[in-house]
Amino acid sequence: MRIESLSIKAVTVVIFAMIGVVAIILSLFAGTYFRQAALDAQMNSLSRVIEVASQEMLKEVKAFTFDLGMKLAHSERLAQTLQGADKSVDQDQLVALLDDPFINGFVGFSKINLVKLRLYSLDLELVSESSAGIGGLAKHLSEYLAGTVVKRNKTDRLKAVDALWMSSQGPLYSTLLPLGGLRQTGYLEVIIDPAFNLPGIGKITKTPISVFSLSGAQISTDERDGANHYLPVEFTMLMSDGEPAFRIVGYEDVDKLNRSMGKTQLVTTSGFLALALGTLLFALWLFNRFLFIPVGRMVQDMKQIADGQLDLTVNKKGLREISVLANSFETMADQVKIRTNDLERLLDLDDSAILCFGHDTEAVYFNKVAIALFAYSDNEISALDLGDVFSEDIVQLMKTPAPSNSLVQKHTLTTRLSCTRKDGHVFKSDAVINALDIREGVGYAIVLNPIADGKDDLLADYVVSSIEKNEQRMHAVEQSLNSILELARGNRGLESASGDNAQPALPGRDTEGDKCLLREQAVNVMRSALACWEHDLEKTKLDLAEESRIWPVYIDKSTPTTRTLDKYLNIDSCPKNPRSQRVIDTAEFVLRQLNKRTTIGRKKLQQALDDFRLLISGLSKANK
Amino acid sequence: MVLTHNYFVKTIIHFCILVISSSSVSAVEKPYAPENIPGATRVSAEAVVDLILSNSDLIIIDSRKKTEYLKGHIEGAINILNTELTLDDLETIAPDKTQAVLFYCNGARCLRSSDSIDKAVKWGYRRIFWFRGGWEEWTEKRLPVISE
Repeated sequence: MRIESLSIKAVTVVIFAMIGVVAIILSLFAGTYFRQAALDAQMNSLSRVIEVASQEMLKEVKAFTFDLGMKLAHSERLAQTLQGADKSVDQDQLVALLDDPFINGFVGFSKINLVKLRLYSLDLELVSESSAGIGGLAKHLSEYLAGTVVKRNKTDRLKAVDALWMSSQGPLYSTLLPLGGLRQTGYLEVIIDPAFNLPGIGKITKTPISVFSLSGAQISTDERDGANHYLPVEFTMLMSDGEPAFRIVGYEDVDKLNRSMGKTQLVTTSGFLALALGTLLFALWLFNRFLFIPVGRMVQDMKQIADGQLDLTVNKKGLREISVLANSFETMADQVKIRTNDLERLLDLDDSAILCFGHDTEAVYFNKVAIALFAYSDNEISALDLGDVFSEDIVQLMKTPAPSNSLVQKHTLTTRLSCTRKDGHVFKSDAVINALDIREGVGYAIVLNPIADGKDDLLADYVVSSIEKNEQRMHAVEQSLNSILELARGNRGLESASGDNAQPALPGRDTEGDKCLLREQAVNVMRSALACWEHDLEKTKLDLAEESRIWPVYIDKSTPTTRTLDKYLNIDSCPKNPRSQRVIDTAEFVLRQLNKRTTIGRKKLQQALDDFRLLISGLSKANK
Repeated sequence: MVLTHNYFVKTIIHFCILVISSSSVSAVEKPYAPENIPGATRVSAEAVVDLILSNSDLIIIDSRKKTEYLKGHIEGAINILNTELTLDDLETIAPDKTQAVLFYCNGARCLRSSDSIDKAVKWGYRRIFWFRGGWEEWTEKRLPVISE
């Protein structure tokens, strides 16, 4: 797609739409990111809560085992029996005493799962253990408990010590207490199964939990409804030696969070969308109010002026740049109008009847002589075409090869035509037909010199004796036309300088003279190039500077200007040592842009460039 | 305007009530026992154990309430509430005023043992030990206890 096919409005709308879409995508991304961050934070919190709850659970268990242990440790029977434990009878009594809590219960019986009671000597040798409870335990104190007790001094050994340790039956929890109170005679180990108390963590955290052993076996199950709403949060409970004991999975109910996040996301996305849409509409309104409408009006006015309605004025209502642009265009249109009037006046002064037809063969212009000759009024001319005033097919005539008796030049045909007046009277006239390259195609300029046959007095007034004279007049008209067009395209200072342009390149002039000649030629080339650029390519001077990149463009009070280029268009402002290469580059650039188009302007430019090159060449030879 | 004035007065009154109530809350907060008591030696839980083991004549007086005592106490302790402690009772337990007597109660925020010690010092007892940490420190260190 070419950039020229896009309007500012379309581009603006697309840009704002893209911004809106990006805003929505970003809000969706942000929503997802925030949700994940919230879930992570919730998981961390719950993990910490489970950790605290598990510690709380162990604290509760510790209190029960301590109470049970203290009751047994102060049992006089147990102390007395332990002192005589080397006898077999005493062993049985010890076992019976240790089995008693399993049989008769104790305070907090339902709170813990007592699995073993064991007695140790002061040297931590196993003396006896209950027959009730689990079997298969190693016949010694766990390494962690033994290590802890051994490290302690005499007084500290009276303090109870607890440990979660790994037995052959799985993780167990032990409390080791001094037997016999402050006057210690041994140790009592109360062993419980912590898995019994682990589900209590769920009651503390008020979340469903599942407990798994290290092998992955489920120890306790959770009671959940709608498992999809729960976010599993894992916590590993460690043994006293730092090794993992249980895997506790808590299930956080994230349904509320999901709903809340969904609502937040909806609100955020809708907000972004509304904001983007609101901004877009407001920006569009601003653009429409201050840019699109004024530019549209201006473009419409410019089109009408370009179509020939030079009396129109460009609407200047808009931002400063638009106003400046409209003013500039209006000034240019006024200049064109003035020059056109000048041209028409000049054409009216000519003795010949001059008729101009557009590419659709419709009449565009009749000079006064032509109006008088064909007896049409000004208003009627626009309704005429070639067929109405000439019997010959002019278009076909210009296409067919020239007859031997005609003087034919490129785009020009000299012949005799049968002309029809408004009243139907037909008369013969010598004619020079000139094909003109105009914007839409080919137009025709016809210069008539009626032949006096002695029968028509009116025609006799306009007869010109020879075809050569017609041609001379045609050339004169062309020259006038070119001169006026050049004046129209140049500035006021051009008139004073134009006379100097005609000076020939004279060899052997002094240095000052050479420089002066060089400047004149440079200005001539630049003017020709600009005229060609503006007329044939229909572009502005600013475009020439910007597109060629040979001449700098300055911004003067927000208005782009071409100060350097302007200096080369006027002999008074042209530098004393003009940059010849720049001038040549500009001319060559314009010629390149013209491509293969052949116009009067191109011919002039080519001629001016050749002359300039010749002058430079001559000067350089002379310098050598 | 009147409404605004009333609202302003109400706000001031509420603020004053809040300040007064918060100051009263801080006023009823339980005080700490003194760091040291003249005439008494302050000891830790470990020192208490050493004293018990090294001194068979040591008299341990639990200054807490009876219910608290029954829930658990230090081995060999006698329960006499500070308010019920009299010279006669003390002289019955420790006729020799040079005999070592250890007082304890619930902990650093309990003033019962310090009150009992004040009395004992006044009555002329010279070897007084004060277990300021009391029952709180004892159980925290998981030392042996006797519960009824």
